[in-house]
Amino acid sequence: MEYVSPEGLRLDGRRPMEMRQIRAEIGAVSKADGSAVFEMGNTKVIAAVYGPREVQNRSQQLSDQALVRCEYSMANFSTGDRMRKPKGDRRSIEISLVIRQTMEECILTHLMPRSQIDIYVQVLQADGGTRSACINAATLALADAGIPMRDLVTSCSAGYLNSTPLLDLNYVEDSAGGPDITVGILPKLDKVTLLQMDSKLPIDILENVMQLATEGCKAIANYIREILLENTKELEYRRGS
Amino acid sequence: MVGLSLGEQHFIQGGIAQDLRCDGRKRLTYRPINVETGVIPQANGSARVRIGATEVIASVKAELGKPGMGQPDKGKVFIYIDCSSTAEPAFEGRGGEELSAELSTALHRCLLGAKSGAGAGIDRTSLVVVEGKICWDLYIDGLVVSSDGNLLDALGAAIKAALSNTGIPSVKVTPGASNDEQPEVDVSDEEFLQFDTSGVPAIVTLTKVGRHYIVDATPEEESQMSSAVSISINRKGHVCGITKRGGAGLDPSVVLDMVSVAKHVSEQLMNKLDSEIASAEAEDES
Amino acid sequence: MLHNKSFVKKTKGGKVMKQVREHYLRDDIYCGTPSCTVCDSSGARLSDSASTILVVDTNVVLNQIDLLENSAIDDVVVLSIVLEEVKNKNMSVYNRLRAICSNSNRKFFVFSNEYHRDTYVKEMSGETKNDRNDRAIRVAAQWYQKHLGGAVKVLLVTNDKENKRKASEEGICAETVESYVKSLDRPDLLDLLVRPSSEDAEMEDVEDHRPSKRKVIYSEHKPMSEITSGLHRGIYHQGKLRVNRYNPFEAYVGSESIGDEIIIYGRSNMNRAFDGDIVAVELLPEDQWQGEKSLSIVGEEDEDEDEDVHLAPNSADDAPRTTPQQGSTGVTNAGSSRPSGRIVGIIKRNWHSYCGSLEPMPMPGGSRGVAYALFVSKDRRFPKIRIQTRQLENLLDKRIMVSVDSWDRQSRYPSGHYVRTIGEIGDRDTESEVVLIENDINSRPFSAQVLACLPPLPWSVSSEDLSIPFRQDLRHLRVFSVDPPGCKDIDDALHCYALPNGNFEVGVHIADVTNFVFPGTPLDDEASQRGTSVYLVERRIDMLPKPLTEDVCSLRSDVERLAFSVIWEMTPEADIISTRYTKSVIKSAAALSYVEAQARMDDSRLMDPVTTDLRNMNSLAKKMRLRRIERGALTLASAEVKFQIDTETHDPLDIGMYQIREANQMVEEFMLAANVSVAQQILKSFPLCSLLRRHPTPTKEMLEPLLRVSAAIGLNLDVSSSKALADSLDLAVGGDPYFNKLIRILATRCMSQAVYFCSGDLSPPEYHHYGLATPLYTHFTSPIRRYADVIVHRLLAASIGISKLPSVFQDRLQLTSIADNLNYRHRNAQMAGRASVELHTLIYFRKRPTDTEARIVKIRSNGFFVFVPKYGIEGPVYLTTRAEKGSGEWYVDEQEQKIKKMDGSLSYSILQTVQIHMEVVEPQPNRPKLQLTLI
Repeated sequence: MEYVSPEGLRLDGRRPMEMRQIRAEIGAVSKADGSAVFEMGNTKVIAAVYGPREVQNRSQQLSDQALVRCEYSMANFSTGDRMRKPKGDRRSIEISLVIRQTMEECILTHLMPRSQIDIYVQVLQADGGTRSACINAATLALADAGIPMRDLVTSCSAGYLNSTPLLDLNYVEDSAGGPDITVGILPKLDKVTLLQMDSKLPIDILENVMQLATEGCKAIANYIREILLENTKELEYRRGS
Repeated sequence: MVGLSLGEQHFIQGGIAQDLRCDGRKRLTYRPINVETGVIPQANGSARVRIGATEVIASVKAELGKPGMGQPDKGKVFIYIDCSSTAEPAFEGRGGEELSAELSTALHRCLLGAKSGAGAGIDRTSLVVVEGKICWDLYIDGLVVSSDGNLLDALGAAIKAALSNTGIPSVKVTPGASNDEQPEVDVSDEEFLQFDTSGVPAIVTLTKVGRHYIVDATPEEESQMSSAVSISINRKGHVCGITKRGGAGLDPSVVLDMVSVAKHVSEQLMNKLDSEIASAEAEDES
Repeated sequence: MLHNKSFVKKTKGGKVMKQVREHYLRDDIYCGTPSCTVCDSSGARLSDSASTILVVDTNVVLNQIDLLENSAIDDVVVLSIVLEEVKNKNMSVYNRLRAICSNSNRKFFVFSNEYHRDTYVKEMSGETKNDRNDRAIRVAAQWYQKHLGGAVKVLLVTNDKENKRKASEEGICAETVESYVKSLDRPDLLDLLVRPSSEDAEMEDVEDHRPSKRKVIYSEHKPMSEITSGLHRGIYHQGKLRVNRYNPFEAYVGSESIGDEIIIYGRSNMNRAFDGDIVAVELLPEDQWQGEKSLSIVGEEDEDEDEDVHLAPNSADDAPRTTPQQGSTGVTNAGSSRPSGRIVGIIKRNWHSYCGSLEPMPMPGGSRGVAYALFVSKDRRFPKIRIQTRQLENLLDKRIMVSVDSWDRQSRYPSGHYVRTIGEIGDRDTESEVVLIENDINSRPFSAQVLACLPPLPWSVSSEDLSIPFRQDLRHLRVFSVDPPGCKDIDDALHCYALPNGNFEVGVHIADVTNFVFPGTPLDDEASQRGTSVYLVERRIDMLPKPLTEDVCSLRSDVERLAFSVIWEMTPEADIISTRYTKSVIKSAAALSYVEAQARMDDSRLMDPVTTDLRNMNSLAKKMRLRRIERGALTLASAEVKFQIDTETHDPLDIGMYQIREANQMVEEFMLAANVSVAQQILKSFPLCSLLRRHPTPTKEMLEPLLRVSAAIGLNLDVSSSKALADSLDLAVGGDPYFNKLIRILATRCMSQAVYFCSGDLSPPEYHHYGLATPLYTHFTSPIRRYADVIVHRLLAASIGISKLPSVFQDRLQLTSIADNLNYRHRNAQMAGRASVELHTLIYFRKRPTDTEARIVKIRSNGFFVFVPKYGIEGPVYLTTRAEKGSGEWYVDEQEQKIKKMDGSLSYSILQTVQIHMEVVEPQPNRPKLQLTLI
């Protein structure tokens, strides 16, 4: 299968180093303390943050830091073939864990002992890169909730098909079975907090592909900062009026 | 869920009694309704409905299937509702299942009628391709993204909008296949049949607080209700289904009164929805 | 990083699933003309001074690819929508188009109109996909015209009437291919054109030569939907059509749905299908099944096509299988059990170009020299093809290539068009060329890019080569090679030393080709495509350029060469104690021929070191061989012939069977052992991506013909395992020395061929190599002439940690496709070799009618096939002449495998020796054949 044409275009018209169109919106769930929608092309997720609030299950309470919890779920209609998606299947649990661990690392949990922060991520449409989109949405939602964080966390994936590193794989490219690297970074601190890859890849190519994904993360970070700034200005304007 | 002080409770009840609710609405006034269609591109039809801060998404997927035994002239329709934990932390894990099931059955009753399909709001006979052999199965999935009361009405509206957004691929059946075999079907990817939604009812939930009933209750108002009745009514003014969800007993005459109120309200709601759907469709097209 | 482009969502309702794909439109797609001031011209491909730029429609590419391949056509814009449509319709045309586009000598530019902001068109409601794509093509043409301004004429070339009309309405210059080619004033190009079928734009002034009172000859092909449903319901059966090489009116369709082959008799049942087409077959009622006739050598409606003499097919894959008739003991042969059928539809065409010549005909006195002629393919399996030409007098005595375009129900023969001339008929070079073309063998000289990858010449081992830590210096070892006489591409060399502990150190040194051929280079790509060197009787087509093949890699004597060595320590009983692998530098002490090596070993007076080594090795090899045979390895035989070629004229002087000596077997034994050791090593390191070679165990059905023959002559063969078969083959000694060999040849023919595969694609029990009776096998020892060995060298180098594994090994699909290509090339190389031998046999016997001894190997209803041991030829001998066919004078006794005269006066049985006369005759012009007759 040809994923990159000899003219250097991918199936959807992107060049290998291009990301899909991204879009973010803050405050999608008005009842939540913080929420955001994040879209990468046709992948669309909603994240809602509740907290910091009283710990619901006392036995889980931590005396020196906040308890961070996360739940990931996919809507029945999120994929091309309709399926009942029971909550709590292996994949959801794994992704929930990945998101929780990634976000926990950047939240200043020690400032909020004996409290609980819930992050709920709901996938509305899945077209490859859901993991990354979830993390990006969660970052925005946490920021919207005003939860103190070390830095933003942003994530992006990259793959390697037809001997070409490709940024931000969509579903078709993802299903090609090639290697797929998901990277999450703290852009300001320039640290990698999440790195996942399936399939084999020679080390020198891994370096290139990872570099590409990191560049993608940085671009997303810039975009997220813009969105946050805009949102803050709007809030400021509203308060002033 | 909603913790209210005694004073607050009295305030809400008093407001309803005086036909001036906390948000300034009258008893039979809806919050602003907003409809978007085509929000899930990979579904055959979809819609997002916002009523106040309540937000639900409904999608319709059509698949080819076989008509059920004893109903060779009808397609099948399935309704599943999910409550996302984004809407309410209490929905986390299996927490939303009870409510999801309750909403699913209520919608089922309101839209699909009895098992036989008699009197259903959605016309299932139009889904048959070859009688007894091939039909379209519609899978209707609802997702509660944000909950701020009146979920059932919102879901009903979203399903109605999603259905009117639904295009079912036109099919060609290969002739010549003998009677006892499954015929071959060619699905066209260019032509779509618009699903006829003129008969699909709207759902109006009347929530009884004190001696009065209100439409489009907020969670705070819902917490004060004595009982609620959901009535689905189609364009012609026919009642397609009634669900009474818990609460205190009602005098039969009150129920009848509620039906007639609902009929009146539903006309306005239906007009509002239709114009919203039409403008959403127009936007979707452009 | 973010490109804010408007994007359109494209929905594609595949089955019932609605799929949504993003589609980004761009503003950085350029027009490809070097003089354009707006566009980035770095990727420009069109010529600077072009006055006309052609935009071709899909139908033009699909039908006129032969024209596009002609270098007279240039400055062509190929739209991505056209590429896409071509790809969906015909993969081979797509590959050819892609090849033109990437050829730097041609001026073809690919314009990604589907991703360009201004040329993307959205589907309108009620518009079919075709209409939408046609519109996209017109929009792109218009864009080009506007973009380039008046200086250049943009011409849309389309044969779609509707598209042409709409284009003209929209102000686009549009022409049909015919009128465009006519305007070029090149009559030879006109021959390349495919004649349009009725829906397309008409060729204005070409008169229809076909008779007007055309009647329907063939029944209609069923529409695809009906076929699908028929297949589904089991009334039709799908399979690939294989036409009998000896009888073009008989074909077979292997059907999985009924688990047997369906026989198709006659042209009308074959209903316009070609060999290799995927077809849908309907079974005939059982009373129409034909049994006896299936075994006749030629078909009954044979008008003018004739049988040919062919060399023996070497394996079961070549010859159509004939299953036995159950219980036909009696004289009557009515009621056979073989299913017969007729073709109702063609699911996938396998049309390509065919080599052959025109049927002789008088020059027509017509105007403008347009003539219709019948083309006769060299390969009998294909029907005659009707073509139209303007250069008839030039073509009559030439071998030409012709493509098929269509075959409608009213035509007896398919229509096609002339592609190119190969050369004069009967000329040996031309005929060799034909052999190469028919087997898809690339014999073109290597391109400049490929040659640029060669090391600087003259090449010699440098100090850098020696200083590489993993390269061991083995120049002190007494290494020598043993090959056929005159061999220039020496892949392998050996050494053998006695160790103080009584054991032997044996080394196999293989040319280190991967030191010169690096993955991803043009050289590597070319070698991978060619797959193998091809050996014809008079020439060799190399896989690698000559300097590598004959010099740099070749392990010649007395020069230092780089090698990849496998070194064993072996006990005197030939048990391997240890194995090590290393890259090395060697200096061969002697390049011996098999004959020389044999002579040295046999000459007891010689006691020089090389001879001693040879003897030691031979004794080890004999033990290894014995052990291998005990394990159940088969000693199979094939009819390999050897020509003596006149060095001046290249004509064959003598012909005879290839003789195998002990020295051959000795070298072979060590090569086998090296291959097995390497296979184990690479599989251990790379269980999922090793390239191995397997030989499937033959099924009962495949062995059936062998068993029938052996039963008839009272020989008891046990085929339960390879060991059992090997043993019973050993016991099969008949009255004469050639008997055993004949049985082995028959056995070999029942086997399928060994194939390359990627280890990740199969499970370990399937890795088995039946013929060699080893669980693992690969090819390591001939990297100069086989690409598989190059891959294995890379795997081995990576497994011992001296280099990295190239990236293709990450991609199992790609590896599988490489293995498939290697199998395809390998097969073709064998077929070409055989065809070349056949060709030279014909040349040899043309001047030498010969009487000789032959053995009967197959009984048919009107004659039998004989095998001529002396020349390795197989062919039919007729007992009844064609005129008296069916007179019933002869009948076949299946049980005893005999053909008897009705009155019992004469009979011939299988394996019987007969005297025959061989002579080249030419019953039909341009199709000489070797005729065998009984004396």
